[in-house]
Amino acid sequence: MAELTNEELRAKILEYLNKVDKAKNKDVATAIGALKRDVDKVINELAKEDILEFLYLGTSYVRIKGKE
Amino acid sequence: MSEKKRPLLEELKKGPWPSFVKEMEKSAHNSKTAELLDLLERSYEDKTGHWKHGGIVGVTGYGGGVIGRYTDLPEEFPEVREFHTMRVNQPSGWYYTSDALRTLCDIWEKHGSGLTNMHGATGDAILLGTTTEHLQPCFNDLSEAGFDLGGSGSNMRTPSCCAGPARCQNACIDTLDLCHNLTNTFQDYLHRPSFPYKFKIKISGCANDCVASIARADLSIIGTWRDAIRIDQEAVKEYAAQGYDIQGLVVDKCPSQACTYNAETQEFTVDNPNCVRCMHCINKMPKALRIGKETGATILIGGKATIVQSAFLSWVIVPFMKLEKEDDYAELKDLIERIWEWWDENGKVRERVGELIYRKGMREFLKAVGLPPVPQMVKHPRANPYFFWWPDEIISSASGDAEAEAAAGAEVEK
Repeated sequence: MAELTNEELRAKILEYLNKVDKAKNKDVATAIGALKRDVDKVINELAKEDILEFLYLGTSYVRIKGKE
Repeated sequence: MSEKKRPLLEELKKGPWPSFVKEMEKSAHNSKTAELLDLLERSYEDKTGHWKHGGIVGVTGYGGGVIGRYTDLPEEFPEVREFHTMRVNQPSGWYYTSDALRTLCDIWEKHGSGLTNMHGATGDAILLGTTTEHLQPCFNDLSEAGFDLGGSGSNMRTPSCCAGPARCQNACIDTLDLCHNLTNTFQDYLHRPSFPYKFKIKISGCANDCVASIARADLSIIGTWRDAIRIDQEAVKEYAAQGYDIQGLVVDKCPSQACTYNAETQEFTVDNPNCVRCMHCINKMPKALRIGKETGATILIGGKATIVQSAFLSWVIVPFMKLEKEDDYAELKDLIERIWEWWDENGKVRERVGELIYRKGMREFLKAVGLPPVPQMVKHPRANPYFFWWPDEIISSASGDAEAEAAAGAEVEK
Protein backbone atom coordinates (compact mmCIF):
# COMPACT_ATOMS: atom_id res chain seq x y z
CA MET A 1 0.00 0.00 0.00
CA ALA A 2 1.31 3.44 -0.91
CA GLU A 3 2.36 5.58 2.02
CA LEU A 4 -0.46 7.84 3.13
CA THR A 5 -0.03 11.51 3.93
CA ASN A 6 -1.00 12.70 7.37
CA GLU A 7 -4.22 14.21 6.02
CA GLU A 8 -5.15 11.00 4.23
CA LEU A 9 -4.47 9.00 7.35
CA ARG A 10 -6.62 11.33 9.45
CA ALA A 11 -9.46 11.01 6.98
CA LYS A 12 -9.23 7.22 6.89
CA ILE A 13 -9.08 6.92 10.67
CA LEU A 14 -12.10 9.17 11.13
CA GLU A 15 -13.99 7.38 8.39
CA TYR A 16 -13.36 4.03 10.11
CA LEU A 17 -14.19 5.28 13.59
CA ASN A 18 -17.43 6.76 12.28
CA LYS A 19 -18.44 3.27 11.20
CA VAL A 20 -17.80 1.57 14.56
CA ASP A 21 -18.71 2.28 18.18
CA LYS A 22 -15.17 2.03 19.47
CA ALA A 23 -11.86 0.43 18.50
CA LYS A 24 -8.34 -0.29 19.70
CA ASN A 25 -5.58 1.56 17.83
CA LYS A 26 -4.36 -1.79 16.54
CA ASP A 27 -7.80 -2.57 15.06
CA VAL A 28 -7.85 0.81 13.34
CA ALA A 29 -4.40 0.18 11.86
CA THR A 30 -5.42 -3.26 10.62
CA ALA A 31 -8.69 -2.01 9.16
CA ILE A 32 -7.16 0.82 7.16
CA GLY A 33 -3.98 -1.03 6.28
CA ALA A 34 -1.57 1.39 7.92
CA LEU A 35 1.31 0.97 10.34
CA LYS A 36 0.20 1.09 13.94
CA ARG A 37 2.88 3.58 14.94
CA ASP A 38 1.60 5.99 12.28
CA VAL A 39 -1.98 5.46 13.41
CA ASP A 40 -0.95 6.05 17.05
CA LYS A 41 0.55 9.41 16.14
CA VAL A 42 -2.53 10.60 14.29
CA ILE A 43 -4.89 9.33 16.99
CA ASN A 44 -2.84 11.24 19.56
CA GLU A 45 -3.18 14.40 17.46
CA LEU A 46 -6.93 13.89 17.10
CA ALA A 47 -7.26 13.36 20.86
CA LYS A 48 -5.32 16.53 21.58
CA GLU A 49 -7.67 18.35 19.22
CA ASP A 50 -10.62 16.95 21.21
CA ILE A 51 -11.99 15.11 18.18
CA LEU A 52 -11.43 11.64 19.67
CA GLU A 53 -11.85 10.42 23.21
CA PHE A 54 -10.67 7.37 25.12
CA LEU A 55 -13.00 4.87 26.71
CA TYR A 56 -12.01 2.36 29.36
CA LEU A 57 -13.91 -0.93 29.46
CA GLY A 58 -11.42 -3.35 30.92
CA THR A 59 -8.95 -2.06 28.37
CA SER A 60 -8.74 1.26 26.56
CA TYR A 61 -10.53 2.04 23.32
CA VAL A 62 -10.79 5.13 21.20
CA ARG A 63 -13.90 6.61 19.62
CA ILE A 64 -15.25 9.77 18.05
CA LYS A 65 -16.00 12.18 20.86
CA GLY A 66 -19.60 11.95 22.02
CA LYS A 67 -20.46 9.06 19.72
CA GLU A 68 -22.77 6.57 21.47
CA MET B 1 -20.52 13.87 60.00
CA SER B 2 -23.15 11.25 59.31
CA GLU B 3 -24.84 9.96 62.46
CA LYS B 4 -25.27 6.48 61.01
CA LYS B 5 -23.72 3.61 62.91
CA ARG B 6 -21.17 1.56 61.02
CA PRO B 7 -20.69 -1.61 63.10
CA LEU B 8 -18.87 -3.53 60.39
CA LEU B 9 -16.37 -0.74 59.81
CA GLU B 10 -15.88 -0.52 63.59
CA GLU B 11 -14.50 -4.06 63.39
CA LEU B 12 -11.83 -2.83 60.99
CA LYS B 13 -10.59 -0.37 63.60
CA LYS B 14 -9.80 -3.08 66.13
CA GLY B 15 -6.35 -4.54 66.43
CA PRO B 16 -2.84 -3.11 66.55
CA TRP B 17 -2.57 -2.25 62.86
CA PRO B 18 -3.32 1.17 61.35
CA SER B 19 -6.85 1.35 60.03
CA PHE B 20 -7.85 3.17 56.88
CA VAL B 21 -11.28 3.61 58.49
CA LYS B 22 -9.76 5.67 61.33
CA GLU B 23 -7.94 7.81 58.80
CA MET B 24 -11.04 8.36 56.71
CA GLU B 25 -13.10 9.26 59.78
CA LYS B 26 -10.73 12.15 60.40
CA SER B 27 -12.05 13.62 57.15
CA ALA B 28 -15.66 12.66 57.73
CA HIS B 29 -16.68 16.28 58.43
CA ASN B 30 -16.72 16.35 54.64
CA SER B 31 -20.13 15.03 53.58
CA LYS B 32 -18.59 13.13 50.64
CA THR B 33 -16.23 11.20 52.91
CA ALA B 34 -19.00 10.48 55.42
CA GLU B 35 -21.14 9.04 52.66
CA LEU B 36 -18.21 7.11 51.32
CA LEU B 37 -17.92 5.38 54.70
CA ASP B 38 -21.67 4.71 54.72
CA LEU B 39 -21.44 3.18 51.27
CA LEU B 40 -18.55 0.99 52.38
CA GLU B 41 -20.54 -0.20 55.36
CA ARG B 42 -23.36 -1.02 52.98
CA SER B 43 -20.97 -3.03 50.78
CA TYR B 44 -19.93 -5.13 53.76
CA GLU B 45 -23.60 -5.66 54.69
CA ASP B 46 -24.48 -6.71 51.15
CA LYS B 47 -21.21 -8.60 50.62
CA THR B 48 -20.76 -6.90 47.25
CA GLY B 49 -19.06 -3.76 46.01
CA HIS B 50 -21.27 -0.87 44.99
CA TRP B 51 -18.97 0.77 42.48
CA LYS B 52 -19.20 0.72 38.73
CA HIS B 53 -15.80 1.02 37.13
CA GLY B 54 -14.82 2.52 33.82
CA GLY B 55 -16.56 4.59 31.19
CA ILE B 56 -15.51 7.90 29.76
CA VAL B 57 -14.10 10.47 32.08
CA GLY B 58 -11.02 12.46 31.41
CA VAL B 59 -9.59 15.77 30.46
CA THR B 60 -9.12 17.18 27.00
CA GLY B 61 -6.46 15.40 24.99
CA TYR B 62 -5.72 12.80 27.66
CA GLY B 63 -6.83 9.18 27.83
CA GLY B 64 -5.11 8.30 31.08
CA GLY B 65 -4.90 9.77 34.55
CA VAL B 66 -8.57 9.76 35.49
CA ILE B 67 -10.50 6.70 36.60
CA GLY B 68 -14.26 6.95 36.47
CA ARG B 69 -16.14 5.78 39.55
CA TYR B 70 -19.91 5.77 39.85
CA THR B 71 -21.95 4.10 42.55
CA ASP B 72 -24.79 1.80 41.56
CA LEU B 73 -26.85 3.29 44.41
CA PRO B 74 -26.90 6.97 43.35
CA GLU B 75 -30.29 7.73 44.89
CA GLU B 76 -29.25 6.44 48.26
CA PHE B 77 -25.76 7.95 48.22
CA PRO B 78 -26.02 11.14 46.13
CA GLU B 79 -22.79 12.68 47.45
CA VAL B 80 -20.75 9.88 45.94
CA ARG B 81 -22.86 9.45 42.82
CA GLU B 82 -19.70 10.40 40.93
CA PHE B 83 -16.48 9.78 42.82
CA HIS B 84 -13.72 9.84 40.22
CA THR B 85 -10.06 9.25 40.98
CA MET B 86 -7.29 11.40 39.54
CA ARG B 87 -3.73 10.14 39.35
CA VAL B 88 -1.01 12.74 39.60
CA ASN B 89 2.46 11.99 38.24
CA GLN B 90 4.77 11.87 41.25
CA PRO B 91 8.23 13.42 41.26
CA SER B 92 11.11 10.94 40.84
CA GLY B 93 11.79 9.22 44.15
CA TRP B 94 8.76 10.96 45.74
CA TYR B 95 10.70 14.01 46.78
CA TYR B 96 8.21 16.80 47.41
CA THR B 97 8.68 20.15 49.02
CA SER B 98 6.19 21.07 51.75
CA ASP B 99 4.93 23.84 49.48
CA ALA B 100 4.24 21.39 46.67
CA LEU B 101 2.26 19.11 49.00
CA ARG B 102 0.24 22.05 50.36
CA THR B 103 -0.51 23.20 46.82
CA LEU B 104 -1.63 19.70 45.84
CA CYS B 105 -3.89 19.42 48.89
CA ASP B 106 -5.35 22.90 48.37
CA ILE B 107 -6.26 22.04 44.78
CA TRP B 108 -7.85 18.81 45.89
CA GLU B 109 -9.85 20.45 48.69
CA LYS B 110 -11.14 22.91 46.10
CA HIS B 111 -12.11 20.33 43.49
CA GLY B 112 -12.48 16.98 45.25
CA SER B 113 -13.19 15.24 48.53
CA GLY B 114 -9.79 16.06 50.02
CA LEU B 115 -9.01 12.35 50.41
CA THR B 116 -5.68 11.19 49.04
CA ASN B 117 -3.66 8.02 48.81
CA MET B 118 0.04 8.81 49.01
CA HIS B 119 0.98 6.77 47.04
CA GLY B 120 -0.73 4.20 44.84
CA ALA B 121 0.91 0.96 43.75
CA THR B 122 2.12 2.52 40.51
CA GLY B 123 3.55 5.42 42.48
CA ASP B 124 1.25 8.28 41.57
CA ALA B 125 -0.30 10.60 44.11
CA ILE B 126 -3.89 9.41 44.09
CA LEU B 127 -6.64 11.96 44.57
CA LEU B 128 -9.89 10.23 45.50
CA GLY B 129 -13.34 11.55 44.78
CA THR B 130 -14.44 14.28 42.43
CA THR B 131 -17.23 14.91 39.97
CA THR B 132 -17.11 15.02 36.18
CA GLU B 133 -17.61 18.80 36.08
CA HIS B 134 -14.58 19.36 38.32
CA LEU B 135 -12.16 17.24 36.26
CA GLN B 136 -11.05 19.80 33.72
CA PRO B 137 -10.82 22.73 36.19
CA CYS B 138 -8.84 20.50 38.57
CA PHE B 139 -6.49 19.44 35.78
CA ASN B 140 -6.04 23.08 34.78
CA ASP B 141 -5.13 24.04 38.34
CA LEU B 142 -2.74 21.10 38.63
CA SER B 143 -1.07 22.05 35.34
CA GLU B 144 -0.78 25.64 36.48
CA ALA B 145 1.00 24.44 39.61
CA GLY B 146 3.41 22.28 37.58
CA PHE B 147 1.80 18.87 38.06
CA ASP B 148 0.86 16.45 35.32
CA LEU B 149 -1.47 13.47 35.36
CA GLY B 150 -0.08 9.95 35.53
CA GLY B 151 -1.09 6.87 33.61
CA SER B 152 -4.20 4.74 33.74
CA GLY B 153 -5.72 2.41 31.17
CA SER B 154 -3.85 0.49 28.49
CA ASN B 155 -0.80 2.69 28.31
CA MET B 156 2.61 3.20 29.81
CA ARG B 157 1.99 3.76 33.50
CA THR B 158 3.80 6.43 35.42
CA PRO B 159 7.42 5.27 35.70
CA SER B 160 8.66 5.16 39.28
CA CYS B 161 12.03 4.78 40.98
CA CYS B 162 13.66 4.41 44.36
CA ALA B 163 15.25 7.24 46.33
CA GLY B 164 18.42 6.57 44.38
CA PRO B 165 21.73 8.44 44.71
CA ALA B 166 20.03 11.31 46.55
CA ARG B 167 20.23 9.35 49.79
CA CYS B 168 21.46 5.82 49.17
CA GLN B 169 25.11 4.76 48.96
CA ASN B 170 24.14 1.61 47.06
CA ALA B 171 22.65 3.36 44.03
CA CYS B 172 24.47 2.07 40.96
CA ILE B 173 22.57 4.36 38.58
CA ASP B 174 20.94 7.76 38.76
CA THR B 175 17.43 6.41 39.13
CA LEU B 176 15.95 9.88 39.56
CA ASP B 177 17.35 11.25 36.33
CA LEU B 178 16.46 8.11 34.38
CA CYS B 179 12.88 8.05 35.65
CA HIS B 180 12.37 11.73 34.83
CA ASN B 181 13.95 11.29 31.42
CA LEU B 182 11.82 8.25 30.48
CA THR B 183 8.65 9.99 31.70
CA ASN B 184 9.31 13.01 29.53
CA THR B 185 10.42 11.00 26.49
CA PHE B 186 7.41 8.71 26.48
CA GLN B 187 4.74 11.22 27.51
CA ASP B 188 2.49 10.36 24.60
CA TYR B 189 2.48 6.71 25.64
CA LEU B 190 1.60 7.80 29.19
CA HIS B 191 -1.30 10.06 28.32
CA ARG B 192 -2.93 8.33 25.37
CA PRO B 193 -3.61 4.60 25.77
CA SER B 194 -2.70 2.65 22.64
CA PHE B 195 -1.21 -0.58 24.01
CA PRO B 196 -2.82 -4.02 24.41
CA TYR B 197 -2.78 -3.41 28.15
CA LYS B 198 -0.83 -1.62 30.87
CA PHE B 199 2.97 -1.36 30.84
CA LYS B 200 4.85 -0.49 34.00
CA ILE B 201 8.46 0.65 34.27
CA LYS B 202 10.12 0.67 37.67
CA ILE B 203 13.71 1.56 38.41
CA SER B 204 15.72 0.40 41.40
CA GLY B 205 19.22 1.66 42.05
CA CYS B 206 20.49 -1.72 43.25
CA ALA B 207 19.46 -5.32 43.75
CA ASN B 208 17.80 -4.49 47.07
CA ASP B 209 15.03 -3.38 44.70
CA CYS B 210 13.29 -0.96 47.06
CA VAL B 211 10.50 -0.27 44.56
CA ALA B 212 9.95 -4.02 44.09
CA SER B 213 10.37 -3.66 40.35
CA ILE B 214 11.07 -7.34 39.80
CA ALA B 215 7.62 -8.28 41.08
CA ARG B 216 5.54 -5.38 39.88
CA ALA B 217 7.00 -3.98 36.68
CA ASP B 218 6.68 -5.12 33.11
CA LEU B 219 10.10 -3.59 32.57
CA SER B 220 12.41 -3.66 35.58
CA ILE B 221 15.62 -1.66 35.55
CA ILE B 222 17.85 -2.67 38.43
CA GLY B 223 21.20 -1.04 39.11
CA THR B 224 24.24 -3.32 39.32
CA TRP B 225 28.01 -3.40 38.69
CA ARG B 226 30.26 -5.60 36.61
CA ASP B 227 33.67 -5.27 38.20
CA ALA B 228 34.57 -6.29 41.77
CA ILE B 229 32.97 -5.59 45.14
CA ARG B 230 35.19 -3.11 46.98
CA ILE B 231 36.44 -4.46 50.28
CA ASP B 232 37.86 -2.47 53.18
CA GLN B 233 39.80 -5.15 55.10
CA GLU B 234 40.35 -2.87 58.11
CA ALA B 235 36.60 -2.45 58.45
CA VAL B 236 36.23 -6.25 58.18
CA LYS B 237 38.56 -6.57 61.14
CA GLU B 238 36.44 -4.09 63.09
CA TYR B 239 33.33 -6.20 62.47
CA ALA B 240 35.27 -9.23 63.71
CA ALA B 241 36.51 -7.34 66.77
CA GLN B 242 32.93 -6.51 67.69
CA GLY B 243 32.08 -10.22 67.64
CA TYR B 244 30.08 -10.10 64.42
CA ASP B 245 29.50 -13.60 63.01
CA ILE B 246 30.94 -13.00 59.53
CA GLN B 247 31.03 -16.70 58.64
CA GLY B 248 27.46 -17.44 59.77
CA LEU B 249 25.68 -14.27 58.75
CA VAL B 250 27.52 -13.37 55.58
CA VAL B 251 29.58 -16.19 54.06
CA ASP B 252 27.20 -19.07 54.75
CA LYS B 253 24.26 -17.05 53.42
CA CYS B 254 25.89 -16.13 50.09
CA PRO B 255 23.60 -17.70 47.46
CA SER B 256 26.43 -18.54 45.06
CA GLN B 257 29.08 -19.39 47.69
CA ALA B 258 31.23 -16.61 46.29
CA CYS B 259 32.28 -15.20 49.67
CA THR B 260 35.02 -16.58 51.89
CA TYR B 261 36.32 -15.47 55.27
CA ASN B 262 39.59 -16.48 56.88
CA ALA B 263 39.01 -16.27 60.63
CA GLU B 264 42.72 -16.42 61.38
CA THR B 265 43.81 -13.55 59.16
CA GLN B 266 40.37 -11.91 59.38
CA GLU B 267 40.45 -11.44 55.64
CA PHE B 268 37.27 -11.36 53.56
CA THR B 269 37.33 -12.24 49.86
CA VAL B 270 34.80 -12.41 47.05
CA ASP B 271 35.04 -14.65 44.00
CA ASN B 272 33.64 -11.94 41.73
CA PRO B 273 33.05 -14.02 38.59
CA ASN B 274 30.74 -16.22 40.66
CA CYS B 275 29.07 -13.36 42.53
CA VAL B 276 25.44 -12.83 41.47
CA ARG B 277 25.35 -9.23 42.76
CA CYS B 278 22.52 -9.97 45.19
CA MET B 279 23.76 -7.35 47.69
CA HIS B 280 23.46 -9.69 50.71
CA CYS B 281 27.08 -9.31 51.88
CA ILE B 282 27.04 -5.55 51.28
CA ASN B 283 23.82 -5.21 53.27
CA LYS B 284 25.26 -7.21 56.15
CA MET B 285 28.62 -5.39 56.29
CA PRO B 286 28.00 -1.94 54.76
CA LYS B 287 31.03 -0.39 56.43
CA ALA B 288 33.38 -2.96 54.89
CA LEU B 289 31.85 -3.76 51.51
CA ARG B 290 30.75 -1.50 48.69
CA ILE B 291 29.37 -1.87 45.21
CA GLY B 292 31.88 -1.96 42.34
CA LYS B 293 32.95 1.09 40.38
CA GLU B 294 31.80 0.06 36.91
CA THR B 295 28.06 0.47 37.30
CA GLY B 296 25.05 0.09 35.04
CA ALA B 297 21.79 -1.82 35.15
CA THR B 298 20.24 -5.20 34.56
CA ILE B 299 17.13 -5.04 32.40
CA LEU B 300 14.32 -7.50 33.10
CA ILE B 301 10.91 -8.04 31.60
CA GLY B 302 7.52 -9.48 32.39
CA GLY B 303 6.77 -8.99 36.10
CA LYS B 304 3.10 -8.71 37.04
CA ALA B 305 0.48 -9.70 39.57
CA THR B 306 -1.99 -12.48 38.89
CA ILE B 307 -4.61 -11.43 36.36
CA VAL B 308 -4.85 -13.71 33.35
CA GLN B 309 -1.79 -15.91 33.87
CA SER B 310 -0.33 -16.46 37.32
CA ALA B 311 1.94 -13.92 39.00
CA PHE B 312 5.30 -13.55 37.27
CA LEU B 313 8.60 -12.22 38.50
CA SER B 314 10.44 -10.46 35.73
CA TRP B 315 13.18 -12.25 33.76
CA VAL B 316 16.61 -10.99 32.81
CA ILE B 317 16.92 -9.93 29.18
CA VAL B 318 20.03 -7.75 29.40
CA PRO B 319 22.42 -8.70 32.23
CA PHE B 320 24.32 -5.43 32.04
CA MET B 321 23.57 -2.19 30.23
CA LYS B 322 25.80 0.81 30.83
CA LEU B 323 22.96 3.39 30.76
CA GLU B 324 24.77 6.43 29.46
CA LYS B 325 23.35 9.82 30.47
CA GLU B 326 25.50 11.44 27.82
CA ASP B 327 23.68 9.76 24.96
CA ASP B 328 20.28 10.28 26.61
CA TYR B 329 19.87 6.58 27.49
CA ALA B 330 19.53 5.84 23.77
CA GLU B 331 20.25 2.10 24.05
CA LEU B 332 17.55 1.57 26.67
CA LYS B 333 14.95 3.69 24.90
CA ASP B 334 15.61 1.90 21.64
CA LEU B 335 15.09 -1.45 23.36
CA ILE B 336 11.85 -0.28 24.98
CA GLU B 337 10.46 0.83 21.63
CA ARG B 338 11.35 -2.51 20.03
CA ILE B 339 9.60 -4.36 22.88
CA TRP B 340 6.49 -2.23 22.48
CA GLU B 341 6.45 -2.77 18.76
CA TRP B 342 6.52 -6.57 19.14
CA TRP B 343 3.95 -6.54 21.94
CA ASP B 344 1.65 -4.21 19.96
CA GLU B 345 1.94 -6.44 16.94
CA ASN B 346 1.33 -9.74 18.73
CA GLY B 347 -0.46 -9.02 22.00
CA LYS B 348 -4.11 -9.82 22.55
CA VAL B 349 -6.39 -7.35 24.29
CA ARG B 350 -5.53 -7.28 28.03
CA GLU B 351 -2.42 -9.39 27.54
CA ARG B 352 0.62 -8.12 29.46
CA VAL B 353 4.00 -8.39 27.76
CA GLY B 354 5.10 -11.13 30.19
CA GLU B 355 2.06 -13.20 29.27
CA LEU B 356 2.79 -12.74 25.59
CA ILE B 357 6.36 -13.96 26.10
CA TYR B 358 4.98 -16.91 28.05
CA ARG B 359 2.58 -17.70 25.19
CA LYS B 360 4.97 -17.20 22.29
CA GLY B 361 8.21 -18.25 23.96
CA MET B 362 11.33 -16.37 24.98
CA ARG B 363 13.04 -17.45 21.77
CA GLU B 364 10.46 -15.59 19.62
CA PHE B 365 10.71 -12.55 21.84
CA LEU B 366 14.50 -12.36 21.76
CA LYS B 367 14.61 -12.77 18.01
CA ALA B 368 11.99 -10.07 17.49
CA VAL B 369 13.70 -7.48 19.68
CA GLY B 370 17.19 -8.42 18.54
CA LEU B 371 18.70 -9.58 21.81
CA PRO B 372 21.13 -12.49 22.08
CA PRO B 373 20.39 -15.40 24.42
CA VAL B 374 22.66 -15.33 27.46
CA PRO B 375 23.22 -17.68 30.41
CA GLN B 376 21.47 -15.29 32.81
CA MET B 377 18.15 -16.03 31.08
CA VAL B 378 16.84 -18.78 33.29
CA LYS B 379 13.39 -19.64 34.47
CA HIS B 380 14.60 -21.06 37.76
CA PRO B 381 18.02 -19.88 38.97
CA ARG B 382 20.88 -22.32 38.34
CA ALA B 383 18.57 -25.01 37.06
CA ASN B 384 16.44 -24.41 34.09
CA PRO B 385 17.44 -22.54 30.94
CA TYR B 386 14.41 -21.56 28.94
CA PHE B 387 16.00 -20.61 25.71
CA PHE B 388 16.15 -23.27 23.03
CA TRP B 389 18.20 -22.93 19.90
CA TRP B 390 16.48 -22.47 16.57
CA PRO B 391 16.71 -25.73 14.59
CA ASP B 392 18.83 -24.09 11.89
CA GLU B 393 21.36 -23.01 14.53
CA ILE B 394 22.10 -26.57 15.61
CA ILE B 395 25.04 -28.23 13.89
CA SER B 396 24.56 -31.95 14.12
CA SER B 397 27.60 -34.20 14.32
CA ALA B 398 28.17 -36.77 11.56
CA SER B 399 26.52 -39.45 13.66
CA GLY B 400 23.69 -37.06 14.48
CA ASP B 401 23.11 -35.47 17.84
CA ALA B 402 19.72 -36.97 18.54
CA GLU B 403 19.34 -35.35 21.89
CA ALA B 404 19.92 -31.83 20.55
CA GLU B 405 17.60 -32.37 17.62
CA ALA B 406 14.91 -33.74 19.90
CA ALA B 407 15.24 -30.71 22.19
CA ALA B 408 14.97 -28.31 19.27
CA GLY B 409 12.10 -30.27 17.82
CA ALA B 410 10.20 -30.21 21.09
CA GLU B 411 10.47 -26.43 21.22
CA VAL B 412 9.32 -26.07 17.64
CA GLU B 413 6.25 -28.18 18.28
CA LYS B 414 5.47 -26.21 21.40
